[in-house]
Amino acid sequence: MRVMRSRAAALAVAAIMLSGGCGGGSSPAGGGKEANAFSVALTEPDHLTPGNTSSDYSITVLDTLFETPVAIDAATNKPVMRAAESVTSTDQKVWTIKFKPGRKFSNGEPVTAQSFADAWNATAYGPNGWTNNYYFANIEGYDELNPEKGEPATDKLRGLKVLDDTTLQVTLTAPFSQFPITLAYIAFAPMPKAAFKDLKAFDQAPIGNGPFVLDGPWEHDKQIKVKRSPTYTGDRTPKADAITFKIYASRDTAWTDLRAGRVDLMTTVPPASTGEAKRLLGDRFQQTPDGTMDYLGFPVFDKRFANPDLRKAFSMAIDRQAIVNAVYDGAFKPMASLLAPLVPGYRENACGEACTYNPAKAKELFDKAGGFSGTLTLWFSNADPSYEQWMTAVANQLRQNLGITDIKFRKIPASDYLTTLRERKEDGPYRNNWVMDYPSPQNYLESMWGEGNRMGWKNEEFLDLIDQANSAPTFDESIPLYQKAEDIALAEMPMIPLWNWQSQVGFTSRLSGVNVTPYSKNLYTISVKQG
Amino acid sequence: MLARDAWLELRGRVVFWFSTAVLLVALAMAAFPGLFTRIGPNENCDLRLSKHGPASGAPFGYDLQGCDYWSQVVHGARASIVVGVSVTIFALLISIVLGTIAGYYGGVADAIISRITDVFFGIPFVLGATVVLVAFPDHGIWAMTLVLVLLGWTTMTRLMRGQVIAVKEMDFVAAARMLGSGDRRLMFRHILPNAIAPVIVVAMLNVGNVIAGEATLDYLGVGLQYPDVSWGLQLNIAQTFFAGHPHLLVFPALFLTATVLSFLMLGDVVRDALDPRLR
Amino acid sequence: MYAARRLAQAIPVFFATTFLIYTMVFALPGDPILALAGDKPVPEQVLEVMREHYHLNDPLLVQYGRYMLGVFHGDLGETFTGQPVSELLQDRWAVTAQLALTAWVFELVVGIGLGVLAGLRRGGIADTLVLAGTTFVIAVPVFVVGYTAQIVLGLNLGLFPTAGTEEGWPGSYLLPGMVLGSFGLAYVARLTRTSLVENLRADYVRTATAKGLSRRRVVGLHALRNSLIPVVTYLGVDFGNLMAGAVVTEGIFNLPGIGQQVFQSIQLQEGPVVVGVVTLLVMIFILANLAVDLLYGVLDPRIRRARA
Repeated sequence: MRVMRSRAAALAVAAIMLSGGCGGGSSPAGGGKEANAFSVALTEPDHLTPGNTSSDYSITVLDTLFETPVAIDAATNKPVMRAAESVTSTDQKVWTIKFKPGRKFSNGEPVTAQSFADAWNATAYGPNGWTNNYYFANIEGYDELNPEKGEPATDKLRGLKVLDDTTLQVTLTAPFSQFPITLAYIAFAPMPKAAFKDLKAFDQAPIGNGPFVLDGPWEHDKQIKVKRSPTYTGDRTPKADAITFKIYASRDTAWTDLRAGRVDLMTTVPPASTGEAKRLLGDRFQQTPDGTMDYLGFPVFDKRFANPDLRKAFSMAIDRQAIVNAVYDGAFKPMASLLAPLVPGYRENACGEACTYNPAKAKELFDKAGGFSGTLTLWFSNADPSYEQWMTAVANQLRQNLGITDIKFRKIPASDYLTTLRERKEDGPYRNNWVMDYPSPQNYLESMWGEGNRMGWKNEEFLDLIDQANSAPTFDESIPLYQKAEDIALAEMPMIPLWNWQSQVGFTSRLSGVNVTPYSKNLYTISVKQG
Repeated sequence: MLARDAWLELRGRVVFWFSTAVLLVALAMAAFPGLFTRIGPNENCDLRLSKHGPASGAPFGYDLQGCDYWSQVVHGARASIVVGVSVTIFALLISIVLGTIAGYYGGVADAIISRITDVFFGIPFVLGATVVLVAFPDHGIWAMTLVLVLLGWTTMTRLMRGQVIAVKEMDFVAAARMLGSGDRRLMFRHILPNAIAPVIVVAMLNVGNVIAGEATLDYLGVGLQYPDVSWGLQLNIAQTFFAGHPHLLVFPALFLTATVLSFLMLGDVVRDALDPRLR
Repeated sequence: MYAARRLAQAIPVFFATTFLIYTMVFALPGDPILALAGDKPVPEQVLEVMREHYHLNDPLLVQYGRYMLGVFHGDLGETFTGQPVSELLQDRWAVTAQLALTAWVFELVVGIGLGVLAGLRRGGIADTLVLAGTTFVIAVPVFVVGYTAQIVLGLNLGLFPTAGTEEGWPGSYLLPGMVLGSFGLAYVARLTRTSLVENLRADYVRTATAKGLSRRRVVGLHALRNSLIPVVTYLGVDFGNLMAGAVVTEGIFNLPGIGQQVFQSIQLQEGPVVVGVVTLLVMIFILANLAVDLLYGVLDPRIRRARA
């Protein structure tokens, strides 16, 4: 016994001494701290095949490895050309994409119109089961690749025609004026021939046409390293030689590591730490606009919520600014619009009185609508503790301002939440969140209020306006039509806008040139201070 | 006779009176919160006062929701104490019965009980809690109690078994057996009183452990929820904001620690008083 | 012989555990494939392909049977992102083992040390301090202890790395190990103290003292050895607990171990991962408990006699 104990004690002492040695000098020894390299905090990506991920974390990595035909300019929120030279159409239905010539994948293979067609076909091919499959649903021939039953007869989209090495013709099922901007989405990136030999291996070690290439294997749950691509000739010439994506399971931990100087950049500083971040980082903390919105949806199919006045009364009884201040340290923006501010066509006060906090008016409207009897149940998932915090605030306000006394929560396990909503099991207002795919009103309005929406809300005039806007001859001409549709959705209020998220970017003093936009982390613009 | 002696002994101990007083206050808070505050749980909250520190009229300041923190902490006593005490009692009963049987009879009984214990040990806290959360969508106090009992009886059972194995080989047990004591009499009159001391210590610690465990379930998103109020929920919210607003952490932690400490001290002195070997 | 019998008992436990866990994961409602897609529209055909791939449409028994067949062929299934579970366990296992071992040694050394210190001077200052300190550690939830330690010791004082595994063992594991072990330490210290106090009062100690043995010898050789039975039981049990209970600690300190993995997999309803991890854990419990039972004999000759 004695022998064992003393050996254990010696081990502990040695361990403490060793760590003392490490602890002091730990900062410069951190990952990605070689001469001209930096590290970025990230959550483990799900996949690294462009067609098979919609996760923001994966896209952050893929954005350095791949180049999409189009990019979105953060100043104008409009498309600009990247891998493509031009995207044109005369009827909004048949589109011609010209690609820039002479580009290469990092394995030396040339990037051609065929590389894009191959990638898109693979993503649209149902049996592959890739996440971004649906983004190709408006291309002709999609249905043949995704039959209701059985194996598809073909694995090529009829609507894709390779005219020559640099020209791709795309035929849509219906006119769609927003098509060019959708090409900025990662699902439209090209894939080399080499990828199709072993798709599983490609997912672990993708080969792209972007400014960086993978450096070593993807170390799951630890890190992903990328370095400057030798074959890249595009406009995004990187300032740094290499980037290490350090993988964190919790953003709170990443934030602590950033403060300790162990990671250089993070784009998800926890909202509750906003005040602290401003104080500690000064102008190295940036809040950039984001397309993500939170809403409170109503089960309109439940007749207790069928009256629009009741829904408006709820909206007016919620003090959005106070909630944002309390729960998110003022980092998020209270919204009186269904669209995020960065979306073209956004109007600051589209909602007007119905989204302005006014307890007296709310109560009046509530009583006029016949009030509410029985238990009010609020639905949300347990994915993040802040949901429960703001729902509690909503519950308290509904109780105080409208006099609804019997309020209960249904906190659903994250994996069950969407199933619950899809099966319409909810019998009360629920949290609804939307992450923007591309800055177009269509992306918000049609996805959430369109055909077969969650609320069970249906308005012919609204649907008609969306159809008209989608086939408008130009982007600019489509905007007023989308706005009219938004007005209808606001007047009926099947879903209340709450607030708009902000990206919270923080970085260490080693970095300069940080330019995170809603559309890209733009890691290539970052340079590392030497010495 | 034993009880009177014990009482005489206890009467003279300061620790006894102190911990009893604290526990009485805590129990009074749990049973009659109205004695301590006129404001009900989650009532009179003004979100614009969110996280404000102590001020006149609000000795403990305000919580995240802008509710008076003093009354919220008072109302938090009920859930925490009910969960802490009931889980410990149920778990203790299970472990005394199973641990004694396994330790005393050995063989097949021991093998079965011990291996069941192993299986339950393996069930991750979160999985058990998630299943119960789904089964009882209200997941109020009793659902939490069920989770914590299901996942919390194992350690004490192992301990009880180990103690019984050690004690049953002692001379006085052998003597009692030779005098013709039956199994049940041996177990409950002779072995149990001599084996239970460490288990009681762990059980008393367990009250605090369970209250903190309830908070951890809240932290993982599978615990109590509005409109319930508990110290665990308060600590959980405080953890996000405590750097800027320490009062959110300090007050529930203070109440929790005082309550748990009293349970422990009371456990210690009562055991000392009841143990004839001490005198 | 005894040990062999105990190991044989592991077989039914193995089946019971895998089946129980599989049932529990299966019992969770919701569609994990749909949840993976998030808010974005995914056509039914694509979801169906995924469900078929992971056999999620089969009834419970078929799924379980298929899983067990795979296990005997060395195939533990794969995660929803296509990573083989066996590979995942290998990577994560090392992290958790290092963490648990660090915590365990910390518990063992410091816990018994404090317990002896307190028990020898019952009612003294050291005793009071140990009692108060351990109570505090137990009463405060582990996430509060973890965050506070990380901020104060890691960030403000810079004594330890704040998170991650870059420094390897022991550098990266000391602070999380102490946080994880603090809880068990409180139990070990208190158990040692109580047990020691009781044994110091026992007749054989009085006899030994009367015989003129030095106090050091009486305490070290006789009282302490007999006091360690409940402590050893606890430590044995707790080694498994540490492995399983590392969810919060691994999360706070960003250690990619099995605790973190189980938490994520439960949320995603990745049955094969949860079952794989838990089964492995139960096997460890069985071994740890066997070790404890064998140690009883070493610590207390009477038990050894009884067993033989």
